[in-house]
Amino acid sequence: MTVALVRLGLVAAVLLAWEVAGRAANPLLAVPPSATLPALRELLLLRSYPDLGASLLVTLREIATAYALAVAVGLAVGGTLGMNRLLGRAYGPMLAALYAVPAVVWYPSLMLFFGLDAASKIAFGFLLGFFPVTLAVLAGIRQVNPHLVTVAKSYGAGPLTVFGRVVLPATLFTLVGGLRTGLALSVIGVIVGEILGSKRGMGALINHAYGLLRTADYVALVLVTLALIVGTDVVAGLVERKARAWSE
Amino acid sequence: MRGLQLVSVLALLSAWEGAARAGWADPLFVPAPSAVARAFGPIGGPALAALGDTLGKTAIAYVLSMVLGVAAGLAVGSIRLLRDVLNPFVVALYGIPKILVLPWIVLLLGYGTAPAIFYGALHGLFPVLVLVIGAVRDVDRTLVTVARSYGATTWQLYWKVLLPAIVPSVFAGMRLGIVFCLLGVLVVEMFAGIRGMGYVMGAFANGFQAPELFAATGLVSAASIAIVLALDHVSERLSHWRG
Repeated sequence: MTVALVRLGLVAAVLLAWEVAGRAANPLLAVPPSATLPALRELLLLRSYPDLGASLLVTLREIATAYALAVAVGLAVGGTLGMNRLLGRAYGPMLAALYAVPAVVWYPSLMLFFGLDAASKIAFGFLLGFFPVTLAVLAGIRQVNPHLVTVAKSYGAGPLTVFGRVVLPATLFTLVGGLRTGLALSVIGVIVGEILGSKRGMGALINHAYGLLRTADYVALVLVTLALIVGTDVVAGLVERKARAWSE
Repeated sequence: MRGLQLVSVLALLSAWEGAARAGWADPLFVPAPSAVARAFGPIGGPALAALGDTLGKTAIAYVLSMVLGVAAGLAVGSIRLLRDVLNPFVVALYGIPKILVLPWIVLLLGYGTAPAIFYGALHGLFPVLVLVIGAVRDVDRTLVTVARSYGATTWQLYWKVLLPAIVPSVFAGMRLGIVFCLLGVLVVEMFAGIRGMGYVMGAFANGFQAPELFAATGLVSAASIAIVLALDHVSERLSHWRG
């Protein structure tokens, strides 16, 4: 109870300090909360950026495509490396080494290859989401009771059947964590890609507002994008809890 | 195992080279490995200077984020009220893509070195902070009680009990943090850079200089992998020493 009150007080204090500092500062650089709300209303009423809806849709579509690719390829690669010991021992460490490279180094190459449109954002979101999914599949398979696999094989199950019927259900608990991290990273990948250079989507709007020093509009756009990100994460959290409850 | 890894890398490279020579891939976008290797020559000097610039900023950002992260993590983790109040905010800030505030940081700090260091430190700070807060919370209460009952001062409690107990988490944070710091610096250099590797790679991409771009990308990746491996090595030796 006290904790909640202190938290509330803290948020109020930060907003107040922001308001005071924002009013004193250059309006091009700092936007007090009282100026943010009107900008947010203008934005949501489609006055400042009439193509807000279309831009949100572009970003959402890029995220969905990137994530679907990341899950499909991540499951396939993780499954292949996890089920085959030789391949796993050869290529697992190479994947882990690549994971130690800050992913953004690949972005200029992706932009050169796929251009400024959606494809380069999808490719970058895919790349970021792919690693946690693959590594979660690998980690999960390592925890599967080998007796289950032996029994399934001795009853004549092929590798695909073993993976789909035995390994996947047994690893679901570990897997859903990786799937959720993968979604968060796919979202970040798409947004980073859009902000580093794009013609459409929320990142393009943010860059437009920033470039024209429309700082209040910029803050409003960031808040809307944040709502989109938090929304995806909340949905993913609900799905995760359902899947965990079911797998237990 | 090493043999298989080597053979598959060589096979991939020669297939790529073959495809490029046969004209299956557009050399404007996918240059042959030999062309990439040749590009190391002309870009070598300037690229190494740019890499040094980037790594220098990363080092400053890294030291800042580690010192701040461990200090703030110790304070927030050990004081009950502070932890209860702040922990959800810290976790939420960790999860939010910091790229959204990057334009504002650039507005405030301008182009160049300062925003890169600030943004890099911001990226590196949160993993350490979250790990240290958790580690301090999970320190065995008996240790603290015993130290207190033997008359340890607050300073001694932090320096002799809490800090040694959280060393593994600090190392985990250091390993995550270096990649995050480098990522942050590179992003700023790509977004609003005038120097450094991120700026150089962005310029190569805009100029359709694919061989040079691939060579520069290889250089940064190799540097990053080498740094992480070195950190792993150091932390392994230190953990042997710690027992």
